[in-house]
Amino acid sequence: MYMGPVGLPISMDAVVFNSVSKVFQHRPALFNWVGRERAGSTEALRGVSLRLPVGGVLVLLGPNGSGKTTALKLISTMLIPDAGNVIVCGSDTLLDGDTVRCKVGFAMAHERTFFPRLTARENLDFFATLENVSKNERSKRVDEKLERVGLTAAADTLVMKFSTGMYQRLGVARALLKNPEVLLLDEPTRSLDPGSALHFWDFVRELPVTRTTVILATHNFQEAATVGDHVAILQRGVLVAGRPSVPGSSLDVMRAFYFQSVGEPEYAEAISAPSPQEMP
Amino acid sequence: MSQVSLLEKLIAIARRDVLTAVRYRNGFILGLLGTFAEMLAFFYLARAIGPSFRPEGVSFFAFLVVGIGFYTFLISGVQAFLSTVQEAQQTGTIEVLLTTSTPAPVLIFLSAFSAFAGKAAKLVFDLVIGLIVFRVVLPHPNLAGTAVIFLLSLAVALALGVLAASLQIALQKGSAVLWLLSSVGFLTGTLFPVNVLPLPLQWAAWLIPITHSLSGMRGALLLGQSTSQLAPEILWLSLAALLLLPTSLFILSWVLRRGRRAGTLSFY
Repeated sequence: MYMGPVGLPISMDAVVFNSVSKVFQHRPALFNWVGRERAGSTEALRGVSLRLPVGGVLVLLGPNGSGKTTALKLISTMLIPDAGNVIVCGSDTLLDGDTVRCKVGFAMAHERTFFPRLTARENLDFFATLENVSKNERSKRVDEKLERVGLTAAADTLVMKFSTGMYQRLGVARALLKNPEVLLLDEPTRSLDPGSALHFWDFVRELPVTRTTVILATHNFQEAATVGDHVAILQRGVLVAGRPSVPGSSLDVMRAFYFQSVGEPEYAEAISAPSPQEMP
Repeated sequence: MSQVSLLEKLIAIARRDVLTAVRYRNGFILGLLGTFAEMLAFFYLARAIGPSFRPEGVSFFAFLVVGIGFYTFLISGVQAFLSTVQEAQQTGTIEVLLTTSTPAPVLIFLSAFSAFAGKAAKLVFDLVIGLIVFRVVLPHPNLAGTAVIFLLSLAVALALGVLAASLQIALQKGSAVLWLLSSVGFLTGTLFPVNVLPLPLQWAAWLIPITHSLSGMRGALLLGQSTSQLAPEILWLSLAALLLLPTSLFILSWVLRRGRRAGTLSFY
């Protein structure tokens, strides 16, 4: 069982994974001999169990294809688990998806999930309406979120003219519109310059103050070391290790922890790293 | 979290669609010019055939304006909605939309409604051009009957749009519904009256909702038929709407659940 930071009482879990598995089937098209598409299946997650207390920042660290995005999509209800269950703020994602969707904001890794011929403000206003933000509050909320991600000056620009980094920040603003209890960030600084990334990490560190629980998927050790209260390492769909972390801890410690966890100690440069706790 | 009414959400979706349409400036203007050119073609076609051909007792030009205008409204409404779903799949927006606080079937239904509202504006534009520029005469139109037939036809078309979206999400081939509707288009009385078809084809035509929509619209708008005269069409369309709307929403919910399980919501 994965617990919150040492010394902090756990009043309620924000997110619970109970032996969650997710398999994607690959069913080739008809006349497969023409192109030879791969058949079979991919186990994206295998028996993953974890608990995340309210108000923490969990970093899911792992290489490409390790199941990080699948885990986030399961929390957001974009996906349904094949086995086990995912509980978000007390609601099962399978049985009570509508309630879960009201509580979870998701900033996805691929940026272009906006309406290109609408401005940033128009896009956010549209999504705010769908998120049940009342008319009186909508305009203020949109302005506040645009300011929070540094896009006030570009608020009335068509998003088709945005750079990749601007798209990414707009995605975060959209995820924040409903003031979510759980915020999912999938590689949020992938397209940001180093300066913007630093500002963004400061912003993420402030979120738990408002009791927003953050789950951030990344393969960036620096990011994991800077923002995580807890770090969980995924490898080929298995949660191989997890431990509390001190935000701002050493990059070398994080790197060592990761490589020891995935069974590649020769890459672990920091000898002083603590041993990973094996997951049940 | 406060609640936002369905009307507000519908307005937000329609506003998105209108802004997107008008910001494709050239496409928007060409669309208007295309409508005018289409009318001109019908006008000269009707003139070439001559005034003695009066299908269902009305001028051939008026018959074409109402028939093709309304048929195009229904088909292009389904097509516009389908394009919205396809674009949302290609950009990945569909996954984001389906994780908002608005339930997915509601969102998709409202999107379909907005797509048809856009095409309804074009239908009105068609009719206005027909009436003003080409002097189509409506002696005693039954406006209440026209509204009833229009709303029932809209309900059936919305259901067909939702079915097309379901097919698009499930098999990435929502265009199959469009293909089917277009293939049977010649049976529906768009270009010529159904009664010139052989009897078996007339029976097939009777099964197609658009046949009843066109017949009802022409009866109400061009012939000024009373509500009792329109009753068979109203009854048929009501039954079709009652059957198709819940069925299409049930299928959509099932398809979305299946897509969430298989991870194929944004496949295209």
